[in-house]
Amino acid sequence: MIKFEGVHKWFGKLHVLNDINLHVTSGEVVVICGPSGSGKSTLIRCVNRLEKFQKGKLWVDDVPLHDHGVNLTQLRAEISFVFQQFHLYPHMTALQNVILAPVNVRKMNKAEAADLGRETLTRVDMADKFDSYPAQLSGGQQQRVAIARGLAMSPKIMLFDEPTSALDPEMIGEVLDVMVQLADEGMTMCVVTHEMGFARQVAHRVIFMDEGELVETGQPDSFFDNPQTERAAQFISKILTH
Amino acid sequence: MLENFNFRIIWEYMPFFLEGLRNTFLISIVSLVLALLVGISACACRLSQWRLLRGAATIYIESIRSTPLLVQIYFFYFGLPTLGLRIPEIQTGILALMLNSGAYIAEIVRAGIVSVSAGQIEAGIASGLNYFQRMRFIILPQALGVTVPPLLGQAIVLFKDSALLSMIAVAELTRSGQVLSSERFMPSEAFLTVAFFYLCIYFFLKSLADWSQKKLIFREAY
Ligand SMILES: Nc1ncnc2c1ncn2[C@@H]1O[C@H](COP(=O)(O)OP(=O)(O)O)[C@@H](O)[C@H]1O
Ligand SMILES: [Mg+2]
Repeated sequence: MIKFEGVHKWFGKLHVLNDINLHVTSGEVVVICGPSGSGKSTLIRCVNRLEKFQKGKLWVDDVPLHDHGVNLTQLRAEISFVFQQFHLYPHMTALQNVILAPVNVRKMNKAEAADLGRETLTRVDMADKFDSYPAQLSGGQQQRVAIARGLAMSPKIMLFDEPTSALDPEMIGEVLDVMVQLADEGMTMCVVTHEMGFARQVAHRVIFMDEGELVETGQPDSFFDNPQTERAAQFISKILTH
Repeated sequence: MLENFNFRIIWEYMPFFLEGLRNTFLISIVSLVLALLVGISACACRLSQWRLLRGAATIYIESIRSTPLLVQIYFFYFGLPTLGLRIPEIQTGILALMLNSGAYIAEIVRAGIVSVSAGQIEAGIASGLNYFQRMRFIILPQALGVTVPPLLGQAIVLFKDSALLSMIAVAELTRSGQVLSSERFMPSEAFLTVAFFYLCIYFFLKSLADWSQKKLIFREAY
């Protein structure tokens, strides 16, 4: 589904991705963790081409992103991205946020899209907030609308960039619940997060990044309980005491 | 004071004032429409990825904003003929007003566009919306709310600034005051009448601005 082969990326002189090799199969849930600035966001942003890379090969759903002339609209329609800061459109209701892309990218008719939008919002437990504006919703509710916005495109892959880091602690659970449900339904997911409970519960694999390198990868339980590298061990002890 | 005020002379010159008013109106409207086009284009250049366009737009905007309008008017009035370009006063005036307001409008529009967070635009990109769809559904609806009231403010400024065209003998409203004042030596009658007409225009535009402010301000984000 997603295949990185020797991918390198630089921001000017800064080597942000250093020889990334990674294969994510269909239906797999991969959790990516690592210290701040290690390149986690950049890694998943390459998958839907929010970032370009300079060297290496990357296939997403059999589309070679290293080639010129990739149909980006088509690619992005199949991949949903959930941001740390939600980034809902503040002048639209929850329902309008959710159906904007289905109507304009998938060319769905409005009535059909509205049905789909209500159904999707119900899935993330926002059935009573169709007509609320983002400003009227809590952080956890906004993030669930953002997930519904991604889900409404019936994506093949969902990418999450620290989806709970901007939330008050009491709202983290409601968002993770929705993500667990998606994982159980077989969605292919790449999730940048430090939520160890979530990783242990649903991740098939945990990937540890440091300074642009993919340092270690393993089963969640063995990774957290018994890390193989010094750098990973240090990182885990930090998030445990945190 | 009022017993010396000559209403008859105002009445006598009324057709003359009305013609000045009409010209002020036409000049301002035409300049405003052109300034909108210039301003939006300059703003697009200013936000463009190409450094050359960005640089050119910045030089234009900053040089207009840093010099007095009267100097700009004289520059075109006396400067263009020396370059071999002879155009009538009215067109020269419209050119000056258009370029002057265009620079301010470019900045107003830019402020509206950058008020939409980069994150929302990225969310639009990530969901597959193309440039025009992002403009149409995400950026413009929000930018408009913060742009229209100051644009109407700029329109008011332009109307009043058009008075400076009297300096290059364009037959607009202020010029008709000057003419009455010098033909009959009645400056109070002349300029009070002129001021009254500007006041009417001002209140018309001002109420439009207030109304748009109420209509167009969207819900606060957050
Ligand atoms: N647009 C950018 N321009 C320049 N440097 C960037 C940009 N985005 C990220 N970086 C740098 O790249 C490195 C990796 O960033 P990022 O992928 O966001 O890390 P993480 O998500 O793991 O915290 C950081 O050092 C960051 O400062
Ligand atoms: Mg990050």
